[in-house]
Amino acid sequence: MRKLVNRGVSRREFLRVSALAGAGVVTVACGSAGEPAPAAAEPAAPAAAEPAAAPAAAPAAATSQYSEAPMLAELVQAGSLPPVDERLPSNPMVMPVAESIGTYGGTFRRGFKGVSDRWGPTKHVDRLLVWYDQSLNLQPRIAESWEVNSDGSEWVIHLREGMKWSDGTALTTADVMWWWDNIQNNSEVQPGGPSAWMTSGAENTPATVEAVDDYTVKISYADPKPLLPYSLTRQNRDFFAPGHYLAQFHNDLTEDKAALEAAVNEAGLNDWTELFDAKRYWYSGGETPMLGGWRAMNELSGELFEMERNPYFFAVDAEGQQLPYVDKISHRFFEANDVFDLRIINGEVDFQSRHVQTPNFTLYKESEEDGGYQVFVGKSSGHVAMQLNLTTPNDQLREFFNKRDVRIALSIAVDRDALNELVYDGLMIPRQYSPLSVSAQAYPKQANAHIEYDVDAANALLDGAGYAEKNADGMRVWPGTSDAISFIIEGTDAAGSVTEDAVNQIVKYYAEVGISAAYKYSERSLYTAHYEANEIEAAFWGGDRTVVPLAAPIIWTCEQPDRPWAAAWALWKTTNGTNPTGQEPPADHWVWNIWGLWDQIQAEADPAKQNELFFQILDIWAEELPMVGYLGEGPTLIIVKNGVKNYLPGFPVDDPTGDEHLLNTETYYWEA
Amino acid sequence: MTIYIIRRVLYMIPTLIAISILSFVIIQLPPGDFLTSYVAQLRQEGDIIDESQLESLRVRYGLGEPVYVQYGKWISGIFLRGDWGQSMDWQKPVKELIWERLGLTMIISLSSLLVSWFIAIPIGVYSATHQYSILDYTMTAFSFIGLGTPGFMLALIVLFVLQNQFGMNVGGLFSEEYINAPWNWAKVVDMLKHIWVPMAIVAVNGTAGNIRITRANLLDELNKPYVETARAKGVKESKLIWKYPVRVALNPFFSTVGWSLASLVSGVTLVAVVLSLQTTGPMLLRALTTQDMYLAGSFILLLSVLTVIGTLISDILLALVDPRIRLQ
Repeated sequence: MRKLVNRGVSRREFLRVSALAGAGVVTVACGSAGEPAPAAAEPAAPAAAEPAAAPAAAPAAATSQYSEAPMLAELVQAGSLPPVDERLPSNPMVMPVAESIGTYGGTFRRGFKGVSDRWGPTKHVDRLLVWYDQSLNLQPRIAESWEVNSDGSEWVIHLREGMKWSDGTALTTADVMWWWDNIQNNSEVQPGGPSAWMTSGAENTPATVEAVDDYTVKISYADPKPLLPYSLTRQNRDFFAPGHYLAQFHNDLTEDKAALEAAVNEAGLNDWTELFDAKRYWYSGGETPMLGGWRAMNELSGELFEMERNPYFFAVDAEGQQLPYVDKISHRFFEANDVFDLRIINGEVDFQSRHVQTPNFTLYKESEEDGGYQVFVGKSSGHVAMQLNLTTPNDQLREFFNKRDVRIALSIAVDRDALNELVYDGLMIPRQYSPLSVSAQAYPKQANAHIEYDVDAANALLDGAGYAEKNADGMRVWPGTSDAISFIIEGTDAAGSVTEDAVNQIVKYYAEVGISAAYKYSERSLYTAHYEANEIEAAFWGGDRTVVPLAAPIIWTCEQPDRPWAAAWALWKTTNGTNPTGQEPPADHWVWNIWGLWDQIQAEADPAKQNELFFQILDIWAEELPMVGYLGEGPTLIIVKNGVKNYLPGFPVDDPTGDEHLLNTETYYWEA
Repeated sequence: MTIYIIRRVLYMIPTLIAISILSFVIIQLPPGDFLTSYVAQLRQEGDIIDESQLESLRVRYGLGEPVYVQYGKWISGIFLRGDWGQSMDWQKPVKELIWERLGLTMIISLSSLLVSWFIAIPIGVYSATHQYSILDYTMTAFSFIGLGTPGFMLALIVLFVLQNQFGMNVGGLFSEEYINAPWNWAKVVDMLKHIWVPMAIVAVNGTAGNIRITRANLLDELNKPYVETARAKGVKESKLIWKYPVRVALNPFFSTVGWSLASLVSGVTLVAVVLSLQTTGPMLLRALTTQDMYLAGSFILLLSVLTVIGTLISDILLALVDPRIRLQ
């Protein structure tokens, strides 16, 4: 966090700007430094009465407090769009800008890989009720404010009065109820019942959702749910649904069932739920009402997916200009990365981190001048780490991996500095898999646990663990046999990749302490099938989600079987013991402590105490090394065309925080 | 002849049924199913997928059902309703997806096929009739290079040169401003500016191979007695060559129609991947890797139909072109 303060806008300045604007930037329940949320309602209320401290800065139209993009002003003139004041909520969000107030116009050109890569475009527009500020604290966004009771089981969320969907229909709690009744609780649309974040406790008891008035919704859980706001950032696709549009595709609600059936047949689908799903998401052809800054103009399956500003977007800058600044975003299809790379060095990509390959750093850098762009280095959330499957079916190996000394030995047997220089040009930092140093949960004690290179100590630990015998080649053998200890490390990075170089280098270090291992590439679905069947011995897949670990702690809590440091336990845990491959961990195992601590965090309303409990989980990690991390805090590249303003370099790029979109992309603009 | 054709058409039916079953089963053989790769994608993108959602998806796609039920649904849809199923990856009907891309694919494949024939046949004939001349050696050298260079490699080099030396906008068939524009003259011109790149690259490989085939076949024919006889009778040399031995030397072209038809759809996949062309090849490749089974199955069925039809056509053509071949 300290590092961030140095860049561009200090936290204090940022708060000042926001406060000036009166947007009710309130540090809320889940921020690291936050107050419990009840206070949130208060500052928001005066803001609603005096919707923007903007008059001084809204010169465009004397009659209006707000101004808008020229392309929208034309439509208003022509009478096809209501004036900007009517389009904005009565208390629009005032989005802080990183550098300067912007001007309207222009397009951001980007690249994408087709429908299955829809997350690239989606991450532009899917920031939901709350979002992160520069210090990674949650701030209100679509939600104006919220209150929570002391144990975190009852949430009252206030929407912005007068806010509208992209088709101009009002967004009210009726849309929340529609979503809750007709999607979450419809046994045909969602046969499995409501999503996990709308349920609580061990039994997954669904919450009760109640519309208090048009703009206030109350969610009551049976058990405490203090981490709810993290589920309202971007990770879940919705919290409301445009019922006025979707009803025609919903079998229980449509007025014309025959027409719906005809439409289903026309589209070649099997039943109405498929059509309903196809119409539900913002990118489906541009008709579906949405709330983000840009709406889809055509289908995602085309060669050029275009997005255009949402005329009803609910946020303004401090001068009352409706956001976003940039008119359009276009995603151009590419099949192989070579074409994308050529487009980058040709200056045809304006702002992108996704699909930009770190190993090509020099290539991008060389062409910066010709291409008219800059390559920025952000912090990657990923880590170079080894997952030794503590539940591998091979008994000898299982016993081997389960000895803590063995894991520590394999950690200190690797010269992290040399690995860093040899494979990563020294761009990474030696550390365990651990929250990034910018994270509110950064914990140096765990990040630096057992990372000193010490071959002698490693050998001593292995000897002490009962694996002192060696064969003629100097490799350690299973006690009482002449078979060398060896295991297979699986990964999804093909031959020739940097990751493969890294794992091969690590394997050499293992060999120096007498342990033999080999890397095996598996195609992704094969890899998936392997961990789902608990057939993996060890895996090499970096750990990410290290920026806001509380939002997605699943790797730490053994609930992400694709990082299989204990695949069978993770399967057991995530399916409540129903998965036949899952195994219950031994009764007194430390993994139970991790789960116990996480349960406490989930029931803990005080953010300071949440952190404290999370550090206790990290203490277990520091002691036990469930996953052996080697390097982290690596670079992620972001291509920014010259002339793009309000982008601040140096921020982490991680999935829960929207990758390169952490700082509201709506405020980026082209320098005139 | 008519009876022969009817019989062949009837034989095609069991062949196609067998192929469709086989291909559907083979697509399902690798571990996991579409959901495995889909869920992996979702997880990687930070969606939290709980078991209940997974179950919903499984029911939705009918993936929990036995293979024969899935096959039955799919094949009856095709025959009864002309419905090829839904692509799980693209979230669109298969029929629409394939049709969308078929046009461009055909244009590229067909034009490069024709280009390669038009270049290869005259050169091949020249090489054979002027065997061991300087030009023959030159052409031979070129065609070996053409044969030996993988298309995707050539595509990469061409891309780089075009971008680096000429600043051309690469990848795809249109400039960005024309992609979503309706068809008009300017768009056609823009397409012509781009389409020659894949055409040329694909044609290079084809041409090289075809030159060698024509040359070798023609050399076999040139020494045959009928050529000598014709020459002795005083037939003009050019007329003699083109009318008799060349006609026989072209037999391989007709007998390969069988798979050329299918490769019009699936061919040049690697080149298309490298050039990011919106053709069917990369789509098929992707459908196979993600186990998008209805899309992949439909593709394979389509390719098989084309191959079977192509084989029939090539048999008929051969009989027409070469009177020595008789259909029994």
